[in-house]
Amino acid sequence: MSTEGLILFFIAGVLMVGGGIIVSNLVAPRSTNAQKLDPYECGIPTIGPSWMQFRVGYYLFAIMFLIFDVETVFIFPWAVVMKQVGMTAFIEILIFFVILGLGLLYAWKKKALRWE
Amino acid sequence: MSWSDFFLMQQELALILLALVLLVVEISLDTENKHKIIPVANFLFIPILVIGFLNTSTGSLFGDMYITDPTRILMKNILNVGVFLVFLQVSNWLKTQANNRNRISEFYLLIISSLIGVNYLISAGNFLMFYLSLELTSIPIAALAAYEQYKHKSAEAGIKMILSSAFSSGILLFGLSLLYAGTGTLNYGAMAIASVDLIQSMGFIFFFSGLAFKISIVPFHLWTADVYEGAPVAVTSYLSVISKGVAVFVLAIVLITLFGEIQGLWQEVIYVTAILTMTIGNLFAIRQKNIKRFLAFSSIAQAGFILLGLVGGSNFGTTAVLYFVLIYIFSNLAAFGVVSVIQNASDKENIYDYNGLYKTNPRLSLVMMLALFSLAGIPPVAGFFGKFFLFAAAAEAGMYVLLLIAVLNAIISLYYYLLVVKAMFINSNDQPVPKIESDFFARAGLILCTAGIIITGFISWIYEYMLNNSFGI
Repeated sequence: MSTEGLILFFIAGVLMVGGGIIVSNLVAPRSTNAQKLDPYECGIPTIGPSWMQFRVGYYLFAIMFLIFDVETVFIFPWAVVMKQVGMTAFIEILIFFVILGLGLLYAWKKKALRWE
Repeated sequence: MSWSDFFLMQQELALILLALVLLVVEISLDTENKHKIIPVANFLFIPILVIGFLNTSTGSLFGDMYITDPTRILMKNILNVGVFLVFLQVSNWLKTQANNRNRISEFYLLIISSLIGVNYLISAGNFLMFYLSLELTSIPIAALAAYEQYKHKSAEAGIKMILSSAFSSGILLFGLSLLYAGTGTLNYGAMAIASVDLIQSMGFIFFFSGLAFKISIVPFHLWTADVYEGAPVAVTSYLSVISKGVAVFVLAIVLITLFGEIQGLWQEVIYVTAILTMTIGNLFAIRQKNIKRFLAFSSIAQAGFILLGLVGGSNFGTTAVLYFVLIYIFSNLAAFGVVSVIQNASDKENIYDYNGLYKTNPRLSLVMMLALFSLAGIPPVAGFFGKFFLFAAAAEAGMYVLLLIAVLNAIISLYYYLLVVKAMFINSNDQPVPKIESDFFARAGLILCTAGIIITGFISWIYEYMLNNSFGI
């Protein structure tokens, strides 16, 4: 690609993003009503300000949850191909489990699982 | 691919195993016995060094994601030695800090995680792998910079480090995406960088800027002094030698293997940044009162000197860089070792606190003097030989103006290094640092560093060995 190509690429990028915002602002119909400001599919209207401080403990739990969530994502494809790959796959997933288990054990020992 | 192929990665696998063993030890230790992990980690690291030096594997794994050859193994070994020296230095600090009693093993685990990243970074054969390991290298260190989070400066260092490394990663990723747009691949071997292509040249510039953050090349050096000052001394020494060393090595590999076609471009870039880095690093170092900030700016200036070896793009230059980084590790770690010992004992970190150090702690002052001489490049010690080969590499490339500026800068640096030596030996002080008895590991670390400073320059087979092994990339 030459210099002109790069410049064109840049201009096209700016136009695509900026144009989208401007055109949608000009073209889209506007209607405002009270219902539009209500929370949508996210439960009931809040009572009091929602910008409050949360306990840091929530994040610890969230991270622990995330780790095991991702683990499940990893195990699904493994389970699909396990029969074809055979013993190797089994040993590899065992190593993976041991490492994860050590992590859990560590968090447990550090009292990350205790709610105080 | 069979199981035995995995043993190409023996160094990395050994490190992962070490991390797991340390995690098991940490889990099994009671709260009051946490300090027992220090000797365990220090002694278990010796087999890692041995495995590294016995490693002779050559080949690639996972479709060229991972490449190993004698040059890369040599680079890893140099950095492993550095980490071992850092481990020896930290023991005293970890033991004495009451606030850290519960978090001793985390220090080792995070450093080893970062070291695993370092090893994979050197062996990366694909920019995807490169980026992953680069993040693995820097994120644990950002956590460690905030290790003493009850101190404001340490917390500040942590947040500055993570923000600047996120920023630099963003720039680097943008560069990589431009390179991908230009070549259609991320694999080192398949990438054909052409000299006429503007997109690829831009990609290189962004890629270089991203790496320049890690090496703290001017104008990407602004985070260095604050992070170095705020972070614990041990983390600072890791940052200043290992993080910097690996970024330099990777830059050398990538410049020669990937960007050989656009040498005209990167020669100019490195030429200008080398001059800026040396000069600005030196000029700011003169004004510093705090010894850690002082060493931070001195390390920026040293990074400028390292660029001299890269500017020619020759094998001779690469060897000079490897050799210099080894010597730089010894000298910088010796200096930081002394700073660490003194800060532990008396919590003093200003240069004028070093006044009259020779009266009370003659051996520490001698080690510090040798380290500073080596950093300045005064003949009997190894730093001279390291700088000599770097200058020779620049001369071989025919860049005499650059060479002249570098020599002038070496003279300027002599001035401020000698200021510290003068403070220790000549200046008098009513309340000098009291006599310090350091523990076994710290002493061993300082002795190893001093031996390295004195011996590396004289034993020529070290240089020959590097020269023979630097033709791999």
